[in-house]
Amino acid sequence: MSLQKVSIAGMGCVCACGNTSEEAFEGTLNAKTRFELPNTRVDSVYTSKYPVFLVDPALYQHKPADQTFSQFFFIRAALQAFEQAKISPRQLNPKRVGVIVGASVHPSFHCFKIYRRWKTDKLTEADYTGLKNYLASPLAQWVSNYFGFQGPFQTIATACASGTDAIGLAKNWIETGLCDAVLCGGTDEITESPYVGFIRLLVSTPQRCRPFCKTRSGINIGEGAAALLLTNVQSAQQLKLSCQGYVLGYGNCCDGFHPTAPDPKGTGLRKALSFALQDAGKNAEDMAFINAHGTASQANDSAEAIAFNSVLPHVPVWGSKGVTGHTLGAAGAIEAVLTLQALNKRILPATIGFTTPDEQLQLIPTRQATAISKRVAMSDSLAFGGCNAAIVLGACDAA
Amino acid sequence: MLPKLYINGFSCLRGDATSEDLAPFVEVRKLRRAEQISKNVLLCAFRALEQAKLKDGPRADLAISLAMGAGALESTLKFMDSIIEDGDELSSPTAFASSVHNSTALFLSMFLGIHGPCVVTGQLDASFAGALLTAQQFLAKGMCQQVLVTLAEDVNPLLTEQLQKDSSLFDPFIYQPQSPAKRVAGALICSAKPTPTTQFVLDSVQLLCTDDISSQSQPQLPVRSCAHSVLLLDKYLQQNAPFTMHEQFAGTILNIEGKPYVLA
Repeated sequence: MSLQKVSIAGMGCVCACGNTSEEAFEGTLNAKTRFELPNTRVDSVYTSKYPVFLVDPALYQHKPADQTFSQFFFIRAALQAFEQAKISPRQLNPKRVGVIVGASVHPSFHCFKIYRRWKTDKLTEADYTGLKNYLASPLAQWVSNYFGFQGPFQTIATACASGTDAIGLAKNWIETGLCDAVLCGGTDEITESPYVGFIRLLVSTPQRCRPFCKTRSGINIGEGAAALLLTNVQSAQQLKLSCQGYVLGYGNCCDGFHPTAPDPKGTGLRKALSFALQDAGKNAEDMAFINAHGTASQANDSAEAIAFNSVLPHVPVWGSKGVTGHTLGAAGAIEAVLTLQALNKRILPATIGFTTPDEQLQLIPTRQATAISKRVAMSDSLAFGGCNAAIVLGACDAA
Repeated sequence: MLPKLYINGFSCLRGDATSEDLAPFVEVRKLRRAEQISKNVLLCAFRALEQAKLKDGPRADLAISLAMGAGALESTLKFMDSIIEDGDELSSPTAFASSVHNSTALFLSMFLGIHGPCVVTGQLDASFAGALLTAQQFLAKGMCQQVLVTLAEDVNPLLTEQLQKDSSLFDPFIYQPQSPAKRVAGALICSAKPTPTTQFVLDSVQLLCTDDISSQSQPQLPVRSCAHSVLLLDKYLQQNAPFTMHEQFAGTILNIEGKPYVLA
């Protein structure tokens, strides 16, 4: 099969360290972010103890009442992507545009407040409206309808690997000719379930997360979205779209090991990284850096270190969750946007939060911003259930 | 061109798998903590693998594509219940971990020994169609030799109860609420090339978006549910004749063309 090359015409991002992809990267470089305690978003006994990374409230003060935060964040990111691509959604052939969105909260039954009232009191008219909205809005289909697209759509629900899977599968959709363009990415929001759930699993930390640090003590969850408009190169040329980079490779492999912990040997992740390299036709020496999942949990960072040292030895490792928080299903997409920014600006940021090397990891992440010259990088995600995904991204001049 | 999907094994289950059903395939005591939908889909997977002559064989080149309309609902509700009844500080971490879509995928991966690519699709009624698209992509890109496409669908007690009180509340998303709601599971083994066990071939799978959300053609299910696609596909496969499966549900069009496969 002759495969189409996949370029990135535009990208957008909304997260704690910025309301655009440019702002988010600046926030990453300058460690400027909204790391908040108390957590004002949810109603929980933990809100004054466990901080979160929140999107700037000024952005969502006009959020339509019938949209979830996940929907709102993704649309904001997608509009930025179209603007950067210099094209309106209406200029694309709607039947040839697909939508793939990764998320963790939205694809679940996320109506906690309604469910609580059903169990303890009586449903209100507003609750029925809420349930109807839930039934009417499978995420990717809703996004597709929002922009008037009529192509295939898919909501990926591989938990914290969803955003990376969405970009990888979008690449495949274009390569195999299923679509000319795909709007893809990830989005997630802070609700009671993940906030309390991670605390109860003893994975969250009351402190600020410290990826790959000897003193790391857990994750801080965050929220946000990132969207990328992918096209085949032919369409990009015909439509005179801008080029922000390329999606070059995708790999995915499951551990089948444990519900909440990765295989400590990193077996599935090693395969996912290797598959992504193979798919991209690249090798470790081509990589400028790895944007790690780097949640700052003991198990995650240890498994990643083993996999990186095995498959991508000596490649610099950068963790960005010290400024974004762990944005769950959005993480892979936000990190893909930050990776592309770093490649295009030729600056590899420091791993915010890291202070002390952990000799057991045999991995020291970036400690200061550094100039880079290589034009290709890897970004990976790990998820509950042992799902691992990795993508290889190229800079705009990597063709 | 996307590959045709050759179906080498297929199983569908309406209702729940029992210990007796599962006993020929697995030590049942190992499943005692599993959600019922996980047991259901595991039984379907075992049966489909058996048909595909993969029950005891190597599964290194298999991938998993799992469809879940609303995720692991039983655990999601258990976790919510534990917050409501016991408070945040005594809520169940086990229920939270099991509420993630991937927990069902992990369950399949562990019990079936599949360690290839794995993706979960969660989009209500269009989930199974999305899982088929993923299988097609895995095969087109050579990411595996065969894909275990699975569906695990639960019944939402809140929506079911409200529907029974007033079915008009959820127009246009309701489908014959008078029928008792049941869990549904399904599994099929797909490959891009025929194998000695190939029974059917799906020539094309098309999932499209439409702005028409008024159409409803799904009988016997409580609310928007991805189970219908599997039940309908099961019906066509049982007929053992060429078919064109067309579903138009709220905002979605799914077209599948298929036929029995006869080894040349």
